[in-house]
Amino acid sequence: MTTLSRRTMLGAVAVAASLGLAGAAQAQAYPNKPITMFVAFAAGGPTDVIARIVSEHMSKTLGQQIVIENVAGAGGTTTTARVAAAAPDGYTLIMGQMGTHAAAPALYPNLKYNPITDFTPIGIAGITPIVIVTKKDFPANNLREFVAYLKANPDKVNQAHAGVGSTAFTTCVLLKAQIGVPKLNAVAYRGTGPALNDLVGGQVDFMCDQVTNLTPQILAGNIKAMGIATPARLPVLPNVPTTAEGGLPEYQISGWNGIFGPKGLPKDIQDKLVDALNKALEDPTTNKRLADLGTVIPNAQERAPAGMAAVLARDLAVLDKPLRDSGAVGQ
Amino acid sequence: MIRPRIAAPQDFAGGLFLIAIGLGALWASSGLGMGTLRAMGPGMLPKSLAVMVAGLGVLLLITSLRVEGPALDRWSLRGLIFVLLGAGLFALTIRGSDLPFGFTLPAIGLIAAGPLVAIVSAFASPETKWGEVLLFAAFMTALCAGIFKYALGLPIPLAPWLLGY
Amino acid sequence: MDLFSNLALGFGVALSLKNLALCFTGCFIGTLIGVLPGVGPIATIAMLLPITFGIDPVGALIMLAGIYYGAQYGGSTTAILVNIPGEATSVVTTLDGHQMAKQGRAGVALGISAIGSFIAGSVATILIAALGAPLTRMALLFGPAEYFSLMVMGLCFAVVLARGSILKAIAMILLGLLFSTIGTDLETGQERMTFGFAPLSDGLDFAVLAMGIFGFAEVIKNLENPETRDVVRQKVGRLLPNFAEMKQSAMPIVRGTFLGSALGILPGNGAVLGPFASYTLEKKLAKDSSRFGRGAIEGVAGPESANNAGAQTSFIPLLTLGIPPNAVMALMVGAMTIHGVIPGPQVMTKNPQLFWGMIASMWIGNLMLLIINLPLIGLWVKLLKVPYRLMFPAILLFCCIGIYSINNSPVDVAMTAFFGLFGYALIKFGFEPAPLLLGYVLGRLLEEKMRQALIISRGSFMTFVERPISAGLLVVAVVVLVVALLPSISKKRDVVFTE
Repeated sequence: MTTLSRRTMLGAVAVAASLGLAGAAQAQAYPNKPITMFVAFAAGGPTDVIARIVSEHMSKTLGQQIVIENVAGAGGTTTTARVAAAAPDGYTLIMGQMGTHAAAPALYPNLKYNPITDFTPIGIAGITPIVIVTKKDFPANNLREFVAYLKANPDKVNQAHAGVGSTAFTTCVLLKAQIGVPKLNAVAYRGTGPALNDLVGGQVDFMCDQVTNLTPQILAGNIKAMGIATPARLPVLPNVPTTAEGGLPEYQISGWNGIFGPKGLPKDIQDKLVDALNKALEDPTTNKRLADLGTVIPNAQERAPAGMAAVLARDLAVLDKPLRDSGAVGQ
Repeated sequence: MIRPRIAAPQDFAGGLFLIAIGLGALWASSGLGMGTLRAMGPGMLPKSLAVMVAGLGVLLLITSLRVEGPALDRWSLRGLIFVLLGAGLFALTIRGSDLPFGFTLPAIGLIAAGPLVAIVSAFASPETKWGEVLLFAAFMTALCAGIFKYALGLPIPLAPWLLGY
Repeated sequence: MDLFSNLALGFGVALSLKNLALCFTGCFIGTLIGVLPGVGPIATIAMLLPITFGIDPVGALIMLAGIYYGAQYGGSTTAILVNIPGEATSVVTTLDGHQMAKQGRAGVALGISAIGSFIAGSVATILIAALGAPLTRMALLFGPAEYFSLMVMGLCFAVVLARGSILKAIAMILLGLLFSTIGTDLETGQERMTFGFAPLSDGLDFAVLAMGIFGFAEVIKNLENPETRDVVRQKVGRLLPNFAEMKQSAMPIVRGTFLGSALGILPGNGAVLGPFASYTLEKKLAKDSSRFGRGAIEGVAGPESANNAGAQTSFIPLLTLGIPPNAVMALMVGAMTIHGVIPGPQVMTKNPQLFWGMIASMWIGNLMLLIINLPLIGLWVKLLKVPYRLMFPAILLFCCIGIYSINNSPVDVAMTAFFGLFGYALIKFGFEPAPLLLGYVLGRLLEEKMRQALIISRGSFMTFVERPISAGLLVVAVVVLVVALLPSISKKRDVVFTE
């Protein structure tokens, strides 16, 4: 029962403190009450896990609890729109990702936010490289054979993805566009779990997704990795060649998660949050937790607000045409 | 002149209900592509189900004219109105909301929305004793705050106007 | 005798004082949230996740697992006492469990569900320990076509579930299927029947629908006839089942355990089918099937056992393969990764302490749940004596908070109120809500799997009969349907002819 009583005590202290300070609260420096960080996806997913790990340490630096609120809906765009419209007081943040910020504009014609102008960037919290995998007995054994097979047998192959707008969907749309088989048969699943299940079971032929989800299955030999879309090989998968080694150097894409506030966030608040994020990522325990997931910790330049803005702008540009051509729409 | 008698009024109304839902769903899914049986579009299942529901409604309607069945029950409006009103008010005030015509409701949090549900819904029963309800509402709200907010740590606004969360 | 040395290792881990305490905490919180309508294990585990940061992975997972299966135990309590199914798996329990409570047999119903769940949980734990790995390989044979056929079979069960007119039951199932298509289309991303209303874009939440048409509608219905309601509440029967009732429930528990375990292994969340399948089976095997829906103890014992067995065996795909079968298990994956354990096929060999410790703790947890729940029965039955004029505002308040907490969304509460109205209309028109909920639960998977199968087969419907497992399931479905429909058709004829 230790966990309960600790929480109760914290709660009681918080109530007592805020009752006493209610009047003076406005005058105090940021932050003087709990901060809400929205996660536009279900609890337990990759975005949620990263948000929880990072916010746990950021709370210590800020001296206020960061409360994670999961509100899923419409590929995460409803919640992202809500944060874009929230007051820029630093108490409403969102753990955004490639889907909500880089892919959404091409997929949702009625999107209620502009991913660049409606937000104040804080920084990238984690980068998840993308790997192309096939079922165990797929005829191709490396990326060159894989590309050749896809081009030769476009009506035989089935690709799995985790739903329109998911990272698995977006990154594979890009891959198919670059290989030149954009209309290849795609099978939608509700999330990575079911898709991966059918890939391991041999019901579908291939998929692209974040290493986080796929590493254990690759290491166990349940699926085959064709290539990883990063400039260099990953320490967790030393035997998996990069796409450049496999003859497809243009396929460079990674999933990422980053913290955003609404636009017009005051500079001093932004600085405090950036500082807290930096401290969290530099903390050995937090760092190790993220690394264990297969997440690449962004370097100081990448994770700065300007660095995240650059990554976002690059992904928006790369993904726009392939996604629009794919014909998938959210509304 | 003999008026046609409905043998099973409850089923008759039920049939109409199903037809209404079926037609409503058909209308709501009208913009969706059917696709073909081999390559189903998003509209295939909703539309066929809507037709089937309405079809069963027609079948129910026809049998209700011939086969004897129960009469229609009376609706108790008092219970219906106050129970649903209580829940509706909770939804509108727990985090505040914007109403049409520029009205806004404040975010009153669990501390006030909790008793609101209990008190409004208490109007639904003729047996309500008001002193008892007030005490009970306060007790239940405190209990819920303890369980949901502190023990389980769920992010429910408690009293944003007083505590800031 | 590898199994025994492994189990010894597991019990060594699970029986440490700290892990026992964590297991108890998990089971206790699980029971609590199971009893509270609306609040599910997902929201709770998500919120408790950060607290487990300070604990080692084995202990943390033991606690989180306890929350999950504890919630399955607790959920039946609410279903029996106030007729609110907190989860898809306790819908069936409302049918006979709540009828028993109305007859003053709440204690017996709660007792048999606790005992049945314990037996089922114990057997399922042994099953996981002994056969986990081979069963996983079998489960992988299930592709989209097989799931589709499985869901068709489930829909045929739903017909059998019905109490009154078959015609009305089928209408309700179809309506449930229709509701399940609301929301974003999985294949194209197009919105369906959402009227441009953003909160509908992910479809209706099961809890919203269930709380509305069961919880709210039930309260409104109870308010209109105070006489029957209060008479019922005066009666308090025995707290535990007697020998005759135990004997009556023995075989249903065994069959329910078997069915639930088998369906729980399927990675596509087959566990939801377990209680329905068990109920269907018991109703068909009973000498006098008319007792079902009127407080038959087999109708509680079988499905409750199936429910708990399924809750245990649904850990198999997670532990042996690293692939989560449902949303709670997906959260467990999150929890494992946060603790640096990457779920996957290697967990069993790389982390034997974690794997076997968790399995051992599940058996201990089931024992704890029995110990927690049996004394609570007295308390629950006493709660029934609270006058209804105080009870119903409390039920409403719990429902409102519970629903809010699922998605932190006030709109969900308003939608539940709407479905309360809808459910009240259903009652007034003489429709049963249970088949609607089953249709709803199966609907999504049904459509999803049908379309996946057809995309993979390039539009050939032969895929459903060419694949042996799928064909076998379809045959069972047809047999179930024929057996269910025959008596009612002949009865209808009698009615028509006697007119």
